[in-house]
Amino acid sequence: MSADESGLVKIALVSCGSEYAGVQPEFEAAAAKVNAKFIYPEIDIASIDTIGKEFGLEVASGDLRLMMARAKAVVEGTTKVDGVFITTCFRCAEGAIVRNEVRRYIHKHSDIPVISYSFTERTSAGTLLTRLEALTTIARRRHLLAREVQTGLTGGIDSGSTTTKAVVMRDNKIIGKGWVPTTKVLESAEEAYSQALKEAGVAREEIQALGTTGYGRFLVGDHFKAQLIQEEITVNSKGAVYLADRQKGSATVIDIGGMDNKAISVEDGIPGMFTMGGICAGASGRFFEMISKRLGVDITELGALAVKGMHENVNMNSYCIVFGIQSLVNSLARGATPEDVAAAACYSVVEQIYEQQLQEVDVKEPLILVGGSSLIEGVPKALGDLLKIDVLVPENSHLIGAVGAALLASGYVGE
Amino acid sequence: MTEIKQNEITKYIVISSDIVLPADAAMKIYESEFPVIVKETCFGLIVTGPEEDVLAVVEKIQQMDKNHIFIKERGFPAGDERRCRASRGGGPRPGFHFLREEVKMLPAIGAALDELEANESVKEKRKEKSRLKVSDLEKLIEEELAR
Amino acid sequence: MAKVFIYPVNSLILSDLVERFEHIPLTMMNQVKEKVTNISLDSPPINITPEDPKIGLRYAAVEVPAGVRGRMALIGPLIEKTEAAIIVENPPANFGCVGCNRTNELMKYLVRDKGVPILEVKYPESNDDARDFVNQIAAFLKSLPKENQESDGLPKEDKKPVEEKPAEKGAEE
Repeated sequence: MSADESGLVKIALVSCGSEYAGVQPEFEAAAAKVNAKFIYPEIDIASIDTIGKEFGLEVASGDLRLMMARAKAVVEGTTKVDGVFITTCFRCAEGAIVRNEVRRYIHKHSDIPVISYSFTERTSAGTLLTRLEALTTIARRRHLLAREVQTGLTGGIDSGSTTTKAVVMRDNKIIGKGWVPTTKVLESAEEAYSQALKEAGVAREEIQALGTTGYGRFLVGDHFKAQLIQEEITVNSKGAVYLADRQKGSATVIDIGGMDNKAISVEDGIPGMFTMGGICAGASGRFFEMISKRLGVDITELGALAVKGMHENVNMNSYCIVFGIQSLVNSLARGATPEDVAAAACYSVVEQIYEQQLQEVDVKEPLILVGGSSLIEGVPKALGDLLKIDVLVPENSHLIGAVGAALLASGYVGE
Repeated sequence: MTEIKQNEITKYIVISSDIVLPADAAMKIYESEFPVIVKETCFGLIVTGPEEDVLAVVEKIQQMDKNHIFIKERGFPAGDERRCRASRGGGPRPGFHFLREEVKMLPAIGAALDELEANESVKEKRKEKSRLKVSDLEKLIEEELAR
Repeated sequence: MAKVFIYPVNSLILSDLVERFEHIPLTMMNQVKEKVTNISLDSPPINITPEDPKIGLRYAAVEVPAGVRGRMALIGPLIEKTEAAIIVENPPANFGCVGCNRTNELMKYLVRDKGVPILEVKYPESNDDARDFVNQIAAFLKSLPKENQESDGLPKEDKKPVEEKPAEKGAEE
């Protein structure tokens, strides 16, 4: 069962503690914004006694057993839903174990999209909005996400927190690109888009459909009268598998953005599980910018430097961007080489992504690394070393958002 | 939206009686003309209203079969949409499951209350089950293996 | 009349028995009522707001999950009023306000730590069990003082209910 383009999306809320942490209204508010409704799957009460054994996971808390029973109801189709939101209290070990296993269970036994999240009393609707938007998009626009070939003349703008990217595509080829730092959202978008149009040699009026994504998607989309305004999780995963030419089968997309990062488990180009965030900007493009500045090199040179260095020589803790920079200063003061420091910076970012995000999705090859930070050669190398798998960085990996938007926008060509 | 008044209370009347049906109890309340809201449920009744009226109603109903009609406070007023299945989107409210388990035990609790009232001698406590001591278990294993 | 903490805090049977034997059950239902009938709040379904987990810091440290602290914001005040307690072991189906076992462990600990008379009984599984269960609870409740207690919710510091253990006596009224 799937929701139609504009219809109400039913999301099963499989949660423990949200009503008691004061965040339930925030959940509801975020859902309402994307025209979704939470559903509490019906369960057979008798199954609660046996669900632990059946699931193979015996826990003491009743609400966690209820989560397992509700997941089962979703998988077995007793309750029909378009997506599942699994959530438990942050810092609860028992909850985290159940949350992860329930997420895996649903992913394994159904193709219903799932997101999982751990909340604190400070979790706000805003934090959840992009995640729920992605979840509802997958439910509503499966047909759109199934698009594998760009047709006609379309444009895509990715208004990111740090840089704004734009592309113009024609008949499945990128013919114009723009990439500028984000200062004022609209001005930067205008500049990047103009660059791309100029390179493509086409006039703005000729563009048949435009898609926008990224933090500034709504503002930019309204301004340019875009046909498609879409959050970055679905757009980026689409862009990543398109650019990497891995549209069929499984893939894992890691996107290291300017302010946050995303890990997305993709099946046939459609996200199944994803996480967003990171504890601190210590695992983001912003951290690399600061490192480059301190080392006195341009960010484009940081990667080459890192590849020559040994991360083991520098102890860097970048869970926090402030402490990360502090370790860097200390290491340099103790005589560490810029190469080793650059390598350590790359390693610490991928280590944090590994510890924080890859635990929340199942890593399946190919692992496609995208986002501006993927251009820093030391990053894919460090990630490959850590995971012991080859990391794929497609050409134009920093443009995935814009490319994904242009690709999906071509669904509106001729409509 | 259910109107909620600060001085109102809500009681759950759970009926586990052979002689009183929830419908009988509800009828008794309707006849009594107390200004309370009554909602029949699968277990009995939910009564919402001003505190003194609800307490009086509850007392009256419980007297119909004292040891087999049980009373519990309820946080939400009868029919509150925040706890209503329809507006919540399926799945009963969380407390419902435990209530259902407790209701299964009520006939036995009622019988025990009857006995208590009839001043029957307290049945001797049965020996409690306890875990086997490791040394005893070892002995048992050895005996079994020796066979 | 003694204010009797019951565990599970939402139990029909315990709350009924405590009232039946003329004491005051301290129940979750009453706490929820305070919340949901507070017109100035609007945080459905039970009007717990992000402020509650902060109130819960009184009972559990900040590294304790928000769901535990939010529940403790409801249960903690009950524990503070507690003059006696009935704790049932292995109750079936614990959901909602008693759905978190960590919270349950904490609340039972805090009650035991108060030094008030406590009856710990097993949840009945048969008719015989139920008889023992009711008899033990009845005896315990009868052992608690009926008079002399302030009704303002503040127990007298030096005055404890008379017996620490339920008397093994007959069940006469």
